[in-house]
Amino acid sequence: MGGEEPAPGPIREALGHALGSDPGPLELSHVPGGASRETFQVAAETGRWVLRRDPPGGQSFVPLEVEFAVVQAVSAAGVAVPRPLHLEPEGGRFGTAGYLMDHVEGTSVAPRVLRRDGYEAARLRLPAELAAALARIHAVELEGVAAVASAGSNPALAACELWEGELDQIGEPLPALEAGLRWLRLHLPAPPERSTLVHGDFRLGNFIVDEDGLAAVIDWELCHAGDPTEDVGWLSIRSWRFGNDDRPVAGLGALDEFLVAYEAAGGSRPSAERLRWWEAMGNVKWATICARQAHDHLTGRRRSHELASLGRRICEPEWDLLELLR
Amino acid sequence: MTQDRPDAAEVLDALAEFLFSDVREWAPRERRFQVLVAANLCAILGRELRAGSEPLREDLALLRELLGAKPPAGELTDAELRDAVRAAEAELARRLRAGELDEGLDRTVARLAEHVRRKLDVARPGYAG
Repeated sequence: MGGEEPAPGPIREALGHALGSDPGPLELSHVPGGASRETFQVAAETGRWVLRRDPPGGQSFVPLEVEFAVVQAVSAAGVAVPRPLHLEPEGGRFGTAGYLMDHVEGTSVAPRVLRRDGYEAARLRLPAELAAALARIHAVELEGVAAVASAGSNPALAACELWEGELDQIGEPLPALEAGLRWLRLHLPAPPERSTLVHGDFRLGNFIVDEDGLAAVIDWELCHAGDPTEDVGWLSIRSWRFGNDDRPVAGLGALDEFLVAYEAAGGSRPSAERLRWWEAMGNVKWATICARQAHDHLTGRRRSHELASLGRRICEPEWDLLELLR
Repeated sequence: MTQDRPDAAEVLDALAEFLFSDVREWAPRERRFQVLVAANLCAILGRELRAGSEPLREDLALLRELLGAKPPAGELTDAELRDAVRAAEAELARRLRAGELDEGLDRTVARLAEHVRRKLDVARPGYAG
């Protein structure tokens, strides 16, 4: 990662202010990954925290201040998240806009959660825990997070427009993806009964999991107001099953079992058609993100064989997309 | 191209094996995934070389059919073939977006699955079942 590292001194000062006592000298280490925001582990003898901030010169889908407000709101609504501690604006003590939060122990590496010994109990509990967390997220009062971007009068149409625009910017010819997008445009579901907060990237990889199950939902940088079914569809796409194709929901469990738990926790059960539409749209989104990442490599914006390899994975969600439409 | 052995696909096989077994062992835990990605890319290229230009020829025929265009006249070089496929993909993508192929879209979706299957045969064999 290029750009200047944040300075430990000012972070110590901000943390001391938030905690009410000086945490002592800090050590910072960059955590790789993350769609566009930077994450740093902050360690002292007195504890561990996490700093999340905008990359120098970069921005994300949701302004960082809004992400902070959303994490505060969902935390107050009882969703397990790392406790948000302190926000600094652009040009403040973290350099770019950023916020500090508590460190949550556990792993966010999906294959580890799905296969490693020690997570058996977690795997059993996760489907119901994820369903309950999602129902709580979808029940958050949007007025409390007024700055959250709205998806317009029909979130399904807004999603089509969003990914068509992104594909136009990338410029890679992908007729199978376009055929799927066209089908989705011709079969738009009606606007949802209620527009809700949508996490926007709700999948294994963005959950911190410990041996007991779900410890925290992280990575809120794609949150927006829209159709709650979007989160369920995205959670169910084949790519996020990591090979456990017989368990449609996140490679962990059955769809019906998940929806029963979601309903029991206050969520409103989507129709099979609406869910299929959003799962198909989830594949459009993942295929487009793969194309974007490969494009970033090819244009030299971020050279990496990992990003390059995603160009050869576009065909996986393309296949799943077309399968869902047949 | 040269005539020497190991040929290109065989060299890539050797690299994939080296990355997958040796390098994966030496790599620090947090970098192992990146080594696996590199090994997988070598394996993809090996399959691509072995498949030759046949998948591209089949794709060009399919794309032209969906566009209602005539099959290409004469033999294309591999570079011309690749350019022709990308041009046909771009044209088909444009017409799909513009709604010009809405009639029979279900059939187009079914036919394009064949095109995606050919990409998967190289990139991820077995994925399409």
